[in-house]
Amino acid sequence: MNINQIKKEFPIFDEKIQNNDLVYLDSANSSQKPKVVVDRINEFYTKQFSNVGRSVHYLAVAATNLYENTRTSVQKYINAKDKNEIVFTKGATEALNLVANTLGQSYLQEGDEVLITELEHHSNYVPWHFLRKSKNIKINFAEINEEGEITLEEIEKKITPKTRLISITHLSNVTGAILPVKEITQLAHSKGIIVVVDGCQGAPHLKLDMQELDCDFYAISCHKMYGPTGLGVLYGKKKWLEELPPYQGGGGMINEVKKDRISYGELPNKYEAGTMATAQVIAFDQSIKFLESIGIENVMKHEAELVEYGQELLQKNNSVKLIGNPKNKGGVLSFTIEGVHPHDIATILDEDGVAIRAGHHCCQILHDKLNIPASARASVGIYNTKEDLDQLNESIKNCKKIFNL
Amino acid sequence: MNLKELYQEIILEHGKNPRNLRKTEDFNRNAKGNNPLCGDNVHVYLKLNGQKIVEDISFEGSGCAISMASASIMTDLIKGKNEHEAKEIVEDFLGMIKENPELKSENLDEDEKTKLMCLSGVKQYPMRVKCATLSWHTLVSAFDERKEEVKTEN
Ligand SMILES: Cc1ncc(COP(=O)(O)O)c(C=O)c1O
Repeated sequence: MNINQIKKEFPIFDEKIQNNDLVYLDSANSSQKPKVVVDRINEFYTKQFSNVGRSVHYLAVAATNLYENTRTSVQKYINAKDKNEIVFTKGATEALNLVANTLGQSYLQEGDEVLITELEHHSNYVPWHFLRKSKNIKINFAEINEEGEITLEEIEKKITPKTRLISITHLSNVTGAILPVKEITQLAHSKGIIVVVDGCQGAPHLKLDMQELDCDFYAISCHKMYGPTGLGVLYGKKKWLEELPPYQGGGGMINEVKKDRISYGELPNKYEAGTMATAQVIAFDQSIKFLESIGIENVMKHEAELVEYGQELLQKNNSVKLIGNPKNKGGVLSFTIEGVHPHDIATILDEDGVAIRAGHHCCQILHDKLNIPASARASVGIYNTKEDLDQLNESIKNCKKIFNL
Repeated sequence: MNLKELYQEIILEHGKNPRNLRKTEDFNRNAKGNNPLCGDNVHVYLKLNGQKIVEDISFEGSGCAISMASASIMTDLIKGKNEHEAKEIVEDFLGMIKENPELKSENLDEDEKTKLMCLSGVKQYPMRVKCATLSWHTLVSAFDERKEEVKTEN
């Protein structure tokens, strides 16, 4: 696999960013887009545009087919049993809100417990907090160990007779820890507990097989997966999506509307109220084809090499303190530098064209636990090379120089 | 863009050893501010006397070099000024950080202006302006005895 060839498929790398070549190490935040995806959006709006699912004219039917093709592609890509288990949303955030909201309406009761982890992104905590407020459910937190991991044992320890749901990240966007989702799901199901997975960081970087993982819900963020913004996917087991109430009401999700009664549409329309992100859905098919053309095994191998390389480099740099050291780690390197605040690090790196993220990365619980207000984070994607990490390391040295350390 | 201009010696020095980073025990005005996006936070304490002169000013908080240095320099300059003068200085500072080429306030002497101008490098870094302004907005809030936390959006 030739990474430089792959990189050429991303037009942004032809650009000079403030006179520098772009060293993009912020893919955990959002990935860059291959040309095929950008072109597909353009082509759809230019030559094929119509709203989907509403009209019988030629363009409408063609657009509807394209839209549904992506659903089938996603189903195959994540090995879901049924096409109707794929719901498009505006992002992973909406997918998680949909799950929490509908389970809150009809499944979770006062006093029930939801188990999440200290690694969770705010979008896998705040929606459950809403239910804590409105339904008096209780939220428990599985705690990280020294390495920044969540172990199966820790989950087991935190399960109580009242635990009805476990909602966990597949891959931490801060420590990079990959959680044993399959094992956690087996354990949970043996106790009648539902499992929701925030797959934002898992989907772009790991092999996905819903039937093997067996979780009940899995949320995906398309813009982190070489796809367009404004789009997410919720995978949900059919029995749940059929049983749960609708989330938003409006056009498209209904069956029959009368003054005194309304019946709702079937899956997948039931959860896709209003005009959806049509162009994005259609273009997302290209993101999946792009990933398939490389092969997820190759993606995983390349990114694992990068992380190992980056970790070794930064470990040698003794002013850098890496956050977490999980055995099973995805492409995320979070760190602090003694004496330099993460925002200052990010500004100084930016001067060399090195794009990283600084802050709490929407994980305030985790940063509180680590007793730091913020961290710097470099994260990789399929287009990154070892040279990118060398540049990261060099620019980090520059931080020390500027701060006279 | 010039990092050297942003991270001048004086900024680094104040960032590393902020002045008045403590809590005025007998304060009679105070306010909190935070940058939700960055996680920076600051708590400003004032002790005003009967003539509304700042007898003591201090702050607690954490943040990047820019925000710590800005709060540090601010507290140094504001001590001994009265409320009216202090607010006028804040206006002048905010104007300078956003657009004005220089400081105009008659309540600052040349030395004070020079010191404050060290923060002007921030202008070239729009994402960092709110780091520099947080403590200043919070100071105004303390004078006005506003209860709600200050949130800077640049
Ligand atoms: C772990 C994790 N969960 C959830 C989200 C939110 O995803 P989206 O931007 O699709 O709403 C993100 C992205 O910021 C994330 O990294």
